[in-house]
Amino acid sequence: MKRLTFVFCGLTTLLLAVVGCSDVKRTRGKVYMPDMSDSRAYETYSTNPVFADGRTSQGPVAGTVKRGDEYPVHIEMDAMGDTANYYASNQLPNPFTSLTADQLKETERLYLINCAICHGAKLDGNGPLWKDGEGPFPAKPAALVGDSKYESMSDGQMFYSVTYGKNLMGSYASQLNAKQRWMVISYIKIKQGKLKPAGNADTTVVASAVIK
Amino acid sequence: MNQTRKIAQQLYSALIFTALLTVSQLVQSQDGKALFNQKCASCHAIDKQLVGPALKGVEDRWDDKKMIYEWVRNSASVIKKGYPRAVAVYAEYNKVQMTAFPELKDQDIDAILGYINTGGAKAAVAGTSTASEDAAGTESESDSNFLYGILTLILAVIALILLQVNSNLRKIADETEGFKTAEPIPFYRNKAYIAILVIILFLVGGFYTFQGAQGLGRSKNYQPEQPIFYSHTVHAGINQVNCLYCHGGAQESKHANIPSVNICMNCHMGINEYAKGPKLYRADGSSVDGTAEIQKIYKYAGWDPAAKKYTSKGKAIEWVRIHNLPDHVYFNHSQHVNAGKQQCQTCHGEIQKMDEVFQFTDLSMGWCVNCHRETKVQFTENKFYSIYEKFHEDLKNKKMDSVTVEKIGGTECQKCHY
Repeated sequence: MKRLTFVFCGLTTLLLAVVGCSDVKRTRGKVYMPDMSDSRAYETYSTNPVFADGRTSQGPVAGTVKRGDEYPVHIEMDAMGDTANYYASNQLPNPFTSLTADQLKETERLYLINCAICHGAKLDGNGPLWKDGEGPFPAKPAALVGDSKYESMSDGQMFYSVTYGKNLMGSYASQLNAKQRWMVISYIKIKQGKLKPAGNADTTVVASAVIK
Repeated sequence: MNQTRKIAQQLYSALIFTALLTVSQLVQSQDGKALFNQKCASCHAIDKQLVGPALKGVEDRWDDKKMIYEWVRNSASVIKKGYPRAVAVYAEYNKVQMTAFPELKDQDIDAILGYINTGGAKAAVAGTSTASEDAAGTESESDSNFLYGILTLILAVIALILLQVNSNLRKIADETEGFKTAEPIPFYRNKAYIAILVIILFLVGGFYTFQGAQGLGRSKNYQPEQPIFYSHTVHAGINQVNCLYCHGGAQESKHANIPSVNICMNCHMGINEYAKGPKLYRADGSSVDGTAEIQKIYKYAGWDPAAKKYTSKGKAIEWVRIHNLPDHVYFNHSQHVNAGKQQCQTCHGEIQKMDEVFQFTDLSMGWCVNCHRETKVQFTENKFYSIYEKFHEDLKNKKMDSVTVEKIGGTECQKCHY
């Protein structure tokens, strides 16, 4: 009898162990000598008592220009419902209208990463987020090629839209710097046939890069 | 008799008439769909408020159809005239003026309205049916594992009982035969048993002690719960968002940055519900309401989805860091992604298939060094390594067929520890 209870107890503990065990690891685990492992200095994403907003990661000081960056464009974002600055941006010239073959390749890569998700790899406004209405995005993205509205849109106005966002498109200023934004706009203009790629006028090279 | 025939005839003609009407409406809404997608869908949906209002039932809201025509062709003039519905809509949507479509004729607008009246219902049905499809598939595997476990246990118990029965039977047999048997030694005093048990305990204990000691400071499979259930399967897998779209820092800095809320809002200003993807589950099996998780972003961003504007100051989302190297190791993402042309998945595993991300590798030094020994550096079409002239020459002269990371100093201590 005694032995039976012994066996029974053993079995139940084993069963509980099997059932209770989860292979989801929600904790980090132990560290040997954490002072060698955890940074004493503030790290990029750590909280920080020094700054007012409590973050170590701070934006650039207002009014400064990062070395190697473009000078800022002095057109502010429109207030809600206002379009004055949006139309004023028509006057902005694109400083990067001639792209070398290398730049074009890089710009295409940037376009495919940041824009193609909505506007499509073929610039037809049919990216994976829209997919003819099958994707999750509720609005049809602009067809950058084939729609006269966007084919005739000035570089400056595009720059405004990419920088501050327009309608359901958000601001891409945090993902692409000013030079990259201008270059992407030049890329779109090349695809629209409004701009000839400099450095290599051979359009077949450009076309093959798209397929890749 | 005559009368019934008349009625039948009337009925028949009415039937034909309605059939023709629906057919004509179908044709019209075909056209309307194309027009709607081309002209309206950038700002309007049928069932959903986007930049502009949801268009379902628009004809009921505007009692004068002529005003709709005029509004579409030039909304400003309708507002100027002071048509009450037009003024109200304009004010309600933050005075964002609708793009004018002077090229649309009355028939075109009718076709679009026709599509709105018929297509809306279809879209709604399609939306709901996909979400409820799965749920059956995932549970069967863990179930069968559990069953196998119980079966093994039962078999083990039966084996034990049979062994007991066997020894008892032998004892009885021996007694009836008249053999004198020695008093049996209980198993817990049997030296052979004890020796085997000690050896097994030593091996198992030693294995776990060694593994535990080695695992100190390593967090393989670490899968913390994040403040928002962000599924990489949905974003990077199903919707094909490039890794660098959100983690663009990986190509130009030490850190693969955690995306700011602004980047979430790029898409989620529009996508405010999770309706079309597969059902989501946490790693522990509990189900997730995707739409509620999207609403959490709005809270962090200070975005009012009804008013379509930022109404309060945003708050940082405190994501839990998963991959963390000790402070005495230097690691740079741009060096690996940009110069080394490595895929994110090499170190992070198949992120595009992880609902909740876990640490795929143990991030041990042995793992780093091993990869540096085996990985061949991409020397061609890579300006970063043009400085290694001798290697380039040797490659050209076929003295060597490839250069590993180790050969360009990838296993030197000071490269990562200084």
